Amino acid sequence: MSAPRSPSQAMELMARETRAAYGPVPHGLDGIAIGPGFRLFAEGQFLLRCESGYGYHYAPGQGVTIERPPRGDPDEETLWLYGSVYSAVACLNGFYPLHASAIAVDGKVHAFTGPSGAGKSTLVAGLGQRGLPMFCDDTLLLDLSDPARIVALPGHKRLKLTPEALALTGTAAQQPVGAETGKSYVAPPAGDVREPLPLARLVFLEQGQVCQWQAIGGAERFARLADDHYTQDLYREAVRPDREMQFALRARLAAQVDMARLVRPISAEGFAASLDLAAARLGVAGKGE
Amino acid sequence: MTKMLTKRTDQFSETAIDEEIVVMSLDSGDFFSLTGTARTIWQLIDGNRDRAALLTALAGHYGCEEAEIADDLDAFVAQLSQAGLIGNA
Repeated sequence: MSAPRSPSQAMELMARETRAAYGPVPHGLDGIAIGPGFRLFAEGQFLLRCESGYGYHYAPGQGVTIERPPRGDPDEETLWLYGSVYSAVACLNGFYPLHASAIAVDGKVHAFTGPSGAGKSTLVAGLGQRGLPMFCDDTLLLDLSDPARIVALPGHKRLKLTPEALALTGTAAQQPVGAETGKSYVAPPAGDVREPLPLARLVFLEQGQVCQWQAIGGAERFARLADDHYTQDLYREAVRPDREMQFALRARLAAQVDMARLVRPISAEGFAASLDLAAARLGVAGKGE
Repeated sequence: MTKMLTKRTDQFSETAIDEEIVVMSLDSGDFFSLTGTARTIWQLIDGNRDRAALLTALAGHYGCEEAEIADDLDAFVAQLSQAGLIGNA
């Protein structure tokens, strides 16, 4: 574990290490070549070669180099940069990424996690319409360098929503997210947060017949952190934590972060009910505009 | 000479969450969630008690006869031993 960083130091570090420039990207690291569609962590560096021809290389202190193919799609470029590359850089600099979207309430972060399609961004958009600012969408970076607290770093400034989510939340689409995702960028209805904040709660989104919010206690808090999302794969590849380290990490999160599950039917009615329930649990009075 | 039951601390990691103790075998990666009596037994295995002393302490803790809980204790101790989490010293 690295020495404790102040929140501003953490922000400066990520800003510095994720600065991007165009240039040629190597085809391998440490004598290991990779083809399109593969990624590699070696020598403390990260290399990603996309099937579309985009390439990304990160080396500590040098930032991110992007190799753009002929007729490269700028939207795809941004998606990779703010997705896997961002998480990989974070992992190599001692941060821990969670596959989560989050809002801020009274100076603390409440994050919603679940597999792709679970409704993380949709819920954050809905809560935004109740006045809660977005903290991040899809990737939540945690700074664990200070044993006394878990600090979350704010993420990118726009939500990515499907047409169904746009209809559910009544939000307005900006431009499409890449050519093939079917999603659109959306400005967070209540704006976003720019400063790091402590992580207060992690909410697991689940499907079920009855809408309910349940606190998660005991060993289940520990077990739920084993959920495999792509950010966890990146972390394991980047850091190669042994079992003892993984255990300590999960034990710390289980001890320092409240956890709950939000169960709801996947329907317009289910979404409305779960939004009311989440807003009530987060202390948002009434249906703000 | 009776042997004391002792935890093989180099073989596991543990953490307390609420009223439970989660133990992971570093060898197998298996998890054990210890609650209630299992949690109490785990806490009583401190390297200073043999099986008889453990049984006495456990009976005292729960206010019951040793004979009532001996089989359950033996079964749990065997499970912990099989998992490599405890041994005799």
